Amino acid sequence: MGLFQKLAFFLGIRRKEVNVLVIGLNNSGKSTIINHFKDEEEKVAEIVPTVGFNVEKFQNQNLSFTAFDMSGHGRYRDLWEHYYKDCHGIIFVIDSSDRLRLVVVKDELDLLLQHPDICNRKIPILFFGNKMDCKDALSSVKIAAGLGLDKIMDKPWHISASNALTGDGLQEGVEWLTQQIRETIVTRN
Amino acid sequence: MSSFKRDKKEEEDGGGNPFQNIEKTTVLQEARLFNENIINAKKCTHILTKILYLLNQGEQLGATEATEVFFAMTKLFQSKDVILRRMVYLGIKELSSIADDVIIVTSSLTKDMTGKEDLYRAAAIRALCSITDATMLQAIERYMKQAIVDKNPAVSSAALVSSLHMTKMASDVIKRWVNEAQEAVNSENIMVQFHALGVLYHIRKSDRLAVTKLVARLTRMSLKSPYAVCMLVRIAAKLLEEEETGNDSPLFEFIESCLRHKSEMVIYEAAHAIVNLRRTTSRELAPAISVLQLFCGSPKPTLRFAAVRTLNQVAINHPTAVTACNLDLENLITDSNRSIATLAITTLLKTGAESSVDRLMKQIATFVSEISDEFKVVVVQAIRALALKFPRKHSVLMNFLSAMLRDEGGLEYKASIADTIITIIEDNAEAKETGLAHLCEFIEDCEHTSLAVRILHLLGKEGPRTKQPSRYIRFIYNRVILENPTVRAAAVSAMAQFGALCPDLLENIQVLLARCQMDSDDEVRDRAAYYSNILKQQDKTLYNNYILDPLQISIPSLERCLREYILTNTEEPFDIKSVPLAALPTEEEKQINNQKSDGMLITTGPVKPIPVSREENYSEKLSTIPALQQLGPLFKSSDIVELTESETEYVVCCIKHCYTRHLVLQFDCVNTLNDQLLENVRVQLDPSEGYKIVNEIPCPKLPYNEMGTAYVVLQFPEDLPNTVGTFGAVLKFVVKDCDPNTGLPDTDEGYDDEYMLEDLEVVLGDQIQRVNKVNWGAAWEEAGNNFVEMEDTYSLSSMGTLEEAVKNIIQFLGLQPAERTDKVPEGKTTHTLLLAGLFRGGFEILVRSKLALADGITMQLTVRSTDTDVAELITSAVG
Repeated sequence: MGLFQKLAFFLGIRRKEVNVLVIGLNNSGKSTIINHFKDEEEKVAEIVPTVGFNVEKFQNQNLSFTAFDMSGHGRYRDLWEHYYKDCHGIIFVIDSSDRLRLVVVKDELDLLLQHPDICNRKIPILFFGNKMDCKDALSSVKIAAGLGLDKIMDKPWHISASNALTGDGLQEGVEWLTQQIRETIVTRN
Repeated sequence: MSSFKRDKKEEEDGGGNPFQNIEKTTVLQEARLFNENIINAKKCTHILTKILYLLNQGEQLGATEATEVFFAMTKLFQSKDVILRRMVYLGIKELSSIADDVIIVTSSLTKDMTGKEDLYRAAAIRALCSITDATMLQAIERYMKQAIVDKNPAVSSAALVSSLHMTKMASDVIKRWVNEAQEAVNSENIMVQFHALGVLYHIRKSDRLAVTKLVARLTRMSLKSPYAVCMLVRIAAKLLEEEETGNDSPLFEFIESCLRHKSEMVIYEAAHAIVNLRRTTSRELAPAISVLQLFCGSPKPTLRFAAVRTLNQVAINHPTAVTACNLDLENLITDSNRSIATLAITTLLKTGAESSVDRLMKQIATFVSEISDEFKVVVVQAIRALALKFPRKHSVLMNFLSAMLRDEGGLEYKASIADTIITIIEDNAEAKETGLAHLCEFIEDCEHTSLAVRILHLLGKEGPRTKQPSRYIRFIYNRVILENPTVRAAAVSAMAQFGALCPDLLENIQVLLARCQMDSDDEVRDRAAYYSNILKQQDKTLYNNYILDPLQISIPSLERCLREYILTNTEEPFDIKSVPLAALPTEEEKQINNQKSDGMLITTGPVKPIPVSREENYSEKLSTIPALQQLGPLFKSSDIVELTESETEYVVCCIKHCYTRHLVLQFDCVNTLNDQLLENVRVQLDPSEGYKIVNEIPCPKLPYNEMGTAYVVLQFPEDLPNTVGTFGAVLKFVVKDCDPNTGLPDTDEGYDDEYMLEDLEVVLGDQIQRVNKVNWGAAWEEAGNNFVEMEDTYSLSSMGTLEEAVKNIIQFLGLQPAERTDKVPEGKTTHTLLLAGLFRGGFEILVRSKLALADGITMQLTVRSTDTDVAELITSAVG
């Protein structure tokens, strides 16, 4: 441990590290969203379907995020639960142009909320209604209604429409999440 | 650094292995640390080390445990610590076969293998390939291709070696990487070149032409890597073995040129290849031997070992060539490395003269206790070869062997000594009594059950025919008192043999068997009661059938038949005659087995499955064909008869399956024309008189290079003499021209065509199954009462020696020689050959053939059989 880091540690200004889980159906834009937050030199030009998961790191407002970018493919969705236990926040990405699979999204969301590792915790969930630029995209209000988000009482949640290609709406959403996580950490301490 | 010093000090204090007392459950508990938010790299590395240690010690993890650890481990991907990450790759590889859902790390590994950190890349490739299955391989194919041609040699090697591993599960995908592998062969790095050659060879190994081209191209290229050259030498040697041409081919020139390579490894490999080629002449051998000779004097022990080991192997096939090195080998006898010394001595034993045997044996005796079991086995094998070569030396050798038997040693070592003694006994009648005495002494204190059982069996077989059978009884009965149930049961069987063969001992044996009936073990009691009852009958026939002759049927078949019998649920009693007889190993197979053991230090592969008789194999295949099911049990299958030359348009082989009343001919056809698709392939037979064709089963489709099978079912003629005959055969089929690449026919219409085959002969031997009669004489006498006897005298003018005559008679009649009468003692002019067998339908045959040598050979043939026609057939067939 370097001298500077030691000093920073004692003064309590060391950056906090938090884990967030990025989930959602396949082709909803999870990896693209994470790619947007990365430093300029680490960005990948071409995003391929994730097999399994990827670990990425990025920073926001002095909070250091470790994002577990899970694969949304049907056969890997069962594996999300392995990572529920020790995450501080969840980013749930929805393809707002894919009306057909909104019911599948609802199923997956219900499974998530009923999971023993999640249901008793006050864990912030950030929803991204991604691909808002698409012509027939649903608005965030409609998505919230469709998924029945208003029934979630015990967890802070927030939905923001986004466009991962341009980055619209992403910053706003993550700022909310940062705020929430900061609060939970403060209250816990 | 300080911690390292402390560790070292602890080690010196006698702390020993720091992982000695770790427990699986504790380590798995500790592994929860992986789930922490902030990863402590040092601690996690330590825990991972413990997990790997446990796995490598053979600790078994259950699927749930492994999966839990695996997913905890995947969280370590967030760490940037290089050491920890590399441990994670190792962990993934270890757990990949046990844990579920391991594909979860695919993307993470793909990212690492294409990333910037070189330290991750090679390890990530290896881990990735261990978790990938055939279906997922497509997804990473692009990355693998890139990695193979990567500039970094470690990455390239990792990709190549991983591809090689994956050829097992997805060879067709790997085949597409041939261009990349080709490029990697040109690499500057010696390891990459070697690995690339390995992959290339594996991709092409099924295509002989491609391999030949590959070798031809690479031999001209002069590879940089000595490892690759070694491999090339091996491939070239393999090609040479398969090719039928002489040794003047460019391949041999290449191997020979490698004898002058600058790397010692290559020189050795080339010499090793040359001396192991099957058809080397002594002139070609000379340079290779001289290279090995040079190595014998090398200061490097590895080279000396390699050289002397190779010489040892060659000594059997080319003793004269090795004799040239005798002087160098003599020097190596006193080598400080015991392994080298042992090999040197055993080589000398193989090449040396009778006079030097005593001296060399003394030399071995000085250090035999210092060498490991493996080398002791080598010594024992050398002694066996020696005993066969110089029968007069048996007393020296036997004493030496018995001394070795008394020493400490593992099962393999003891078994090889016992084997050697048994071979000596069988080969040399003079040595029998002493050999048996040594073995008796050995079983007094033998910890290996299997060995004790074998020796007891041998005593039972050989003991009663010695001058003084009673002396062995004590040794055998001692086993009944002192040993475990398996040995006790074997001892009971051995005693029964004495009772059956030595009437004066019968009373005593009965007393002993009566005592055995109070044994605590079921099997021992059963056997004792069984033998005791049979011996009470005092009936020679019963003795022969139930004590002296073992069960002749094949055990796997018996199992199958009994299973079927239980399933059918019939009232009829089980008929043991319906079980096919066990195939006896032919002389050739025995020789192959012997040759195998003559070599040395062969790594013993996995234990071979119980050999199943050929009949059993075919029987299973044939029983799947409905038309053949009602024919009853398969009696005998002949060897494969080729009806075409091996390199013609269509290759056809025939196997004759003999049933009780029917003959099934199985024609295995291969179409070697890649632009033709054959349909409705059948064989038109022109059977000899009396045969009736009952059924024909054509092969519906015969694509290029695949084996198809057509059957013809014939009924045997009523008159037995007519069963021997010659059939004309024509292959008939419909040809459709097709595209050589896809194998799809161009048109739907084909045309009829035919192809002449060689004539097929049905001989007497096809209808006779060999039976091994241990006590032929007794069976013969007994047959005198109720069998039909026929006798005739022939003159066999075409044969010059007794050996030749014996060989031909055995082959012609298809009977099993009994009491080792197939070996003609040297220098005799008369010989009696005893044969036994079973004719289809269950007729027993015993044949005595008295041969006399005088201007050609005169033979008096006496046949005893349960059936007149069979006996007549045999006597008439010989004429």
